[in-house]
Amino acid sequence: MNKFILIGVTTAALASARAQDSASTPAASPDLENLRQQVQALTETVKALQQQVKDQQVAIEKANGNAGSPPQNPEPSPIAAAANSPTPGPSAPARFQTEDTSVVASTAAPAASPGPGVNANETAVSGNFPTTDTSVVSSAPETISSTGAGASLTQPISIGGGGKNYMNISFDGLFALAGSSARDLDHIEVGDHDPQQRGFNARNIELAFDGAVDPYFEGFANIVFKLNNDNETEVEVEEAFLQTTSLPFNLQLKAGQFFAAFGRINPTHPHTWDFADAPIVHGRLLGPDGLRGVGAQISWIVPVPWYSQLILGVQNGRGGTGYSFRNPGDDGMFFDRRTTDRELRGLQDFVWIPRWENSVDLSPTQVVLAGISGAFGSNETGANSRTQIYGGDFLYKWKSANAEGGFPFVKWQTEFMYRRFEAGRGVNESFPVAETFHDWGLYSQVLWGFKKGWVAGIRGDYLDMEDSKFTDDFERQSRSRISANLTWYPTEFSKIRLQYNHDFLAENFFLSDRDVDSVFLQFEFILGAHGAHKF
Amino acid sequence: MKKILLILSTILACALSAQAKLNVVATLPDFGSLAREVGGDKIDLVVLAKATEDPHFVDARPSFVVSLRNADVLIDGGAELELGWLPPLLQNARNPKIEIGKPGRVQASQGIRLMNVPTNVTRAAGDVHALGNPHFTVDPIIAKAIAQHIAQSFSAVDAANAGFYDANYKKFETAINAKLQGWGAIMLPFQGQHVAAYHDSWPYFAHRFGLNIDVFLEPKPGIPPSPSHLTDVIGQMKAQKIKAIIVEPYHDRRIAEKVARSTGAKVVDFSQFPGGIPGTDSYVRLIDVLVSRLADALK
Repeated sequence: MNKFILIGVTTAALASARAQDSASTPAASPDLENLRQQVQALTETVKALQQQVKDQQVAIEKANGNAGSPPQNPEPSPIAAAANSPTPGPSAPARFQTEDTSVVASTAAPAASPGPGVNANETAVSGNFPTTDTSVVSSAPETISSTGAGASLTQPISIGGGGKNYMNISFDGLFALAGSSARDLDHIEVGDHDPQQRGFNARNIELAFDGAVDPYFEGFANIVFKLNNDNETEVEVEEAFLQTTSLPFNLQLKAGQFFAAFGRINPTHPHTWDFADAPIVHGRLLGPDGLRGVGAQISWIVPVPWYSQLILGVQNGRGGTGYSFRNPGDDGMFFDRRTTDRELRGLQDFVWIPRWENSVDLSPTQVVLAGISGAFGSNETGANSRTQIYGGDFLYKWKSANAEGGFPFVKWQTEFMYRRFEAGRGVNESFPVAETFHDWGLYSQVLWGFKKGWVAGIRGDYLDMEDSKFTDDFERQSRSRISANLTWYPTEFSKIRLQYNHDFLAENFFLSDRDVDSVFLQFEFILGAHGAHKF
Repeated sequence: MKKILLILSTILACALSAQAKLNVVATLPDFGSLAREVGGDKIDLVVLAKATEDPHFVDARPSFVVSLRNADVLIDGGAELELGWLPPLLQNARNPKIEIGKPGRVQASQGIRLMNVPTNVTRAAGDVHALGNPHFTVDPIIAKAIAQHIAQSFSAVDAANAGFYDANYKKFETAINAKLQGWGAIMLPFQGQHVAAYHDSWPYFAHRFGLNIDVFLEPKPGIPPSPSHLTDVIGQMKAQKIKAIIVEPYHDRRIAEKVARSTGAKVVDFSQFPGGIPGTDSYVRLIDVLVSRLADALK
């Protein structure tokens, strides 16, 4: 206090001296001089108060027995000091309580603590354990606005997989080392992405993109590069489509290039398959590339208590990816007919693809999914030749209630297909007869994930192609096959698969005339966005 | 055609009017448990993942699409834990009420400072989560914040019962605040102790109660334990005198038991989720059990 008075007196003396100085200069106005004096006086007062605060802080720290801790603010700026001086600031109580309470101090201790301010104990409960923690809950969560607009959040929020990017990008490389007793593996294996020659195969190297286009659409694209048997790169726009997000009445519209929603295997990409090659019936009735094309699709979730979805797709069905439909064939020949290769004449030339799928949970660990599909359109073997394909599919899956990484599980999947193909007489009635082929086939496979990362599988294939006296196309051969495989997924981003196929072709003169044994070592890696798993 | 539309709209109207209660879907059982605390009997709750299964790998069952299609509120983690299965479900559910940003969508990680946010994202480090460790609900202080989010969402969607939700939240908050004193006291003697765990799911629990849960049987998140790594772990556990190994219901307990035999530590069955271990049908009882089990093992 004495010090304060001393300072005050000194200030006054100085001020008066200055006043006398300035009085001698006529230019300075008396008002300005007054102001100057006041400022000077204030500065001194602030300095004095600063000192007082410092003294008090030291006293408090000593009282708390924390003398060892370094002084918080050795040289405080006048402004900071002034802010602190009138009343204790908001930070002060936290510091005091942190230091005062034994439990708080120890909780604050772990190095993992992201921030220093641990206790802002506004709900003063009887005990000392902190009940709020600003280091983990960054804001009082009044941030959800009822309108949904502009929630001010400190944490970046991502759409699943979206992160902070506008789209997800991933890259998938699928390769196979093949050994076979057949010299023409490309005739034995029915799928375009299956191993097609002895030795190494790179039939499915895929770039995938997806993301929200805007509030109304999501976009997807899969570009596939494959190396043919002469190691030349071929490119396929496998899929590229947009899909609505907010149509009313549980409707969804999809448009672009996409796999037809026919059965289980057809709408999925080869790298998600459980075997290294396509089922025979899939490759021979829907085609080596599956049934896909440019078109549109509408789907409706039926409002019933179980999962029930109706889907109707329409595609051009033209070319090799519309294999049983408007497919001009290799060199203009299909099933030995010289094909018409015509423009669309009307709605009947589109491929119409309806599907109805249903699923129920038998128990918390068991799911069943069953669907029926159809594909109806024209084909190119005659002016008015039609194709109809019908399919039924069934999936049963059990997964342990204590599954780790999705294991263990058992999955049984079966698909049946029937095709009615009106083979006309070709362009200008050049083929001797018109025939109607009734072809059918099925496959059934069981996968057993017996241990985290390990799956064993077995599959049976059967295809019955109607005999014809007029065509001996190798793609019209009835056949059957059994396969077994073992897959190791080191993580969900890589896999190594060993598969054995036995093709019963002993009596099939056009394909092999003896049984064929093949072994595939398939390996895959995925880079980039985390692919989500469809059921 | 008009007739069909009429029938369809009647079905829809029936389906809509049938739901007197708020339809709430929670991706994970911990969020479900908090939703139940706040919503009481005014909500119909569906929890997608089972309390005993690995939340990283849940099958995207078609029946989940039906639940999500009917949801008024969806509570998910928002920290990529459900990344492998939630996105295709949401794509198929086509329900605008639960889009991100709508009041019907609670992302539990909102306003939570996630721990262990990687500075470099590489899968060479195993299954790391780019946004930070997503197993945060086991910190009771964070659970309160999530419950508050949920109460705000319920109140926004179902304004008629806003008072009810708010009161339930306050009740939960008071209960947690009181409970924290007891939990803190039980864990107090074990401050700074090291604990082993099968998977790195427990940094938030450790942070709250002053433990160091920093030795893991998995060499990297999601990568199964290898013999050489386990040898290292055993050495480390012996050196640090670690007394407990935390395992979750879906982990291979035999591996933990083997390590326990070599080190004299105890295997402690933990769960992030209410219902994952017996006697934990609510959030408070889960933390009760976790705290007392760990304290028993560390004594």
